[in-house]
Amino acid sequence: MKTLIKIAIASGKGGVGKSMLTSSLLMLFAKDKRKVIAVDCDADAPNLAIWLGEPKNWDKVKKISVSEKPAINNNALKNMAGKAEECVKKCRFGALRAEKEKLKLNPFLCEGCGACEFFCPAGTIKMKPVKNGEIKTKKTKYGFPLISGQLYPGETGSGKIVTEVKREAEKFNGDIMLIDSAPGTGCPVIASLQDADFVLLIAEPTPSGFSDAKRVLEVIEHFKIPWSIVINKYDINFELSDKIKKWASQKGQGQINNKFLGEISYDKNIPKSISNLVPIMETDLKAKNEIKKIYSRLRQQYQRT
Amino acid sequence: MPKKIKKIGITGGKGGTGKSAFAVLLSLKLIEEGKKVILCDCDVECPNDYLISGKKLNRPAKNIFAEFPVLNKKKCAKCGTCVKACRQHAIFQPRDKKGNPGYPIFIKDLCENCGACWTVCPFGAIKTKKERTGKIYAGKIKENLWLVTGLANPGLEETGPIVAKTKKFALDFAKRKKADYILFDTAAGTHCPVVSALLGCDFAYCVTEPTPMGAYDLGLILDLCEKLKIPAKIVLNRADLGRKETIGKIAEKFKLEIEKEIPHSKKIAEAYSKGRLAKMGKIQVSEIMKNL
Repeated sequence: MKTLIKIAIASGKGGVGKSMLTSSLLMLFAKDKRKVIAVDCDADAPNLAIWLGEPKNWDKVKKISVSEKPAINNNALKNMAGKAEECVKKCRFGALRAEKEKLKLNPFLCEGCGACEFFCPAGTIKMKPVKNGEIKTKKTKYGFPLISGQLYPGETGSGKIVTEVKREAEKFNGDIMLIDSAPGTGCPVIASLQDADFVLLIAEPTPSGFSDAKRVLEVIEHFKIPWSIVINKYDINFELSDKIKKWASQKGQGQINNKFLGEISYDKNIPKSISNLVPIMETDLKAKNEIKKIYSRLRQQYQRT
Repeated sequence: MPKKIKKIGITGGKGGTGKSAFAVLLSLKLIEEGKKVILCDCDVECPNDYLISGKKLNRPAKNIFAEFPVLNKKKCAKCGTCVKACRQHAIFQPRDKKGNPGYPIFIKDLCENCGACWTVCPFGAIKTKKERTGKIYAGKIKENLWLVTGLANPGLEETGPIVAKTKKFALDFAKRKKADYILFDTAAGTHCPVVSALLGCDFAYCVTEPTPMGAYDLGLILDLCEKLKIPAKIVLNRADLGRKETIGKIAEKFKLEIEKEIPHSKKIAEAYSKGRLAKMGKIQVSEIMKNL
């Protein structure tokens, strides 16, 4: 039997509380002496360390390469009039241009497909890995490890870095892995969800929050992963919160579990407290008890935890 | 001479900082100044501008297709060049009964339709087949303000090309409508789809919030803007909910100033959550967006 359980936290829309919820659940699991592993898979904008109140002092920072880019050797084009132009025309992404018979690359347009290595004269282009991201690890003050990815801005490979971060996290000994995913539904989110055992969706009761949660649910259902939903800031729109709850209970029909796991109220003190790097679980805010309730329901509902 | 359309990006790094709300409010301010504006929602994985403006996505104005490889066996020499070229390892070449290289097989789930295989095939044996990967919607929000929305199919991995095609459509649309401004509202993050959305912008507003998360992610997006050589302007949303100094420090690091502060407003939040942001009154909009 597989011993490590992977729970991913997703939302579609950004800024609705993924990292806030992930950090709080991690602390609760740790308090109950469960061996948890914290994984920040939002390599575009990793914030889980901040929500845990300790953004600095990493134990290890490993530079990695998650994509390859063409390295151009223009010497190979000497005495080949017109060849540079020919290469330029063949790049489907318009990432190559020719200046005075010399090839130049626009890295922001390059998809790293490597076709140029084949169609340019021999020796002109060689695909080379670029160090374009890093994996940071540390043992947190709560005792569990945190593994966090960072892809440098503008680089390609946001899906691959997530896979690498998860691979690094699997080296740690643990029972439960919490995966904080990126917003959206594309590469990094698909890579975050791919082998998860359970997904915790979090939504806020706004038309966009609900719509985006449903968008990412299409990906979750594609992978046939069991899931349930948490509503954050439920009291900013009671009507829509009720609608989400009804929708979730309909989705859960015929299944043992109710898809609705709990709700967290809106509180201006949450951003204020995290601005002082104080995690919610170390405050007396209302959200603390609300999250505790969600945590115990999660453990009831998903008993393997 | 056709007039030059001003292109503005609206981004931020972190999600949920108010990019879309700011984009809609900026459009309203511009049309009140007598300009014609196209708002282009480039958050193609989770577009929201239509929702907060109280609109529906009805019939797509255009479908977006991507190409996938199909083998023409008559032309294929089984040379294996395509197999070597494919960096996704999405092409597999089995051996035939005699142990010689057989016809390549394309594994669609692994294919990222980069086109390397059909570009490099020496025999022109790889044709392409089009499949729909997304849609573009266009509609009017109000007088002099139109919305173009890109929408990627759920489960599509690479969404950068959807953004690029949505932008191209929006630019043509802007020319037809003789628009003065086109606003590109990006997704959260700092990669492919965001880069596609920002490329070619005259400048970008980076919308953030006064939290350490906002500050950290602002640093990343400002770094990206620098790399792309796009001038950035910082907008601090919900300026009173957190610590402004954290943002100030990042701004200083990039030799920028906070261009605009927007305090937390229940009115904006309510209009946002009820899809009525585009119906906000003139006075309110000019109050929120003053000094910009």
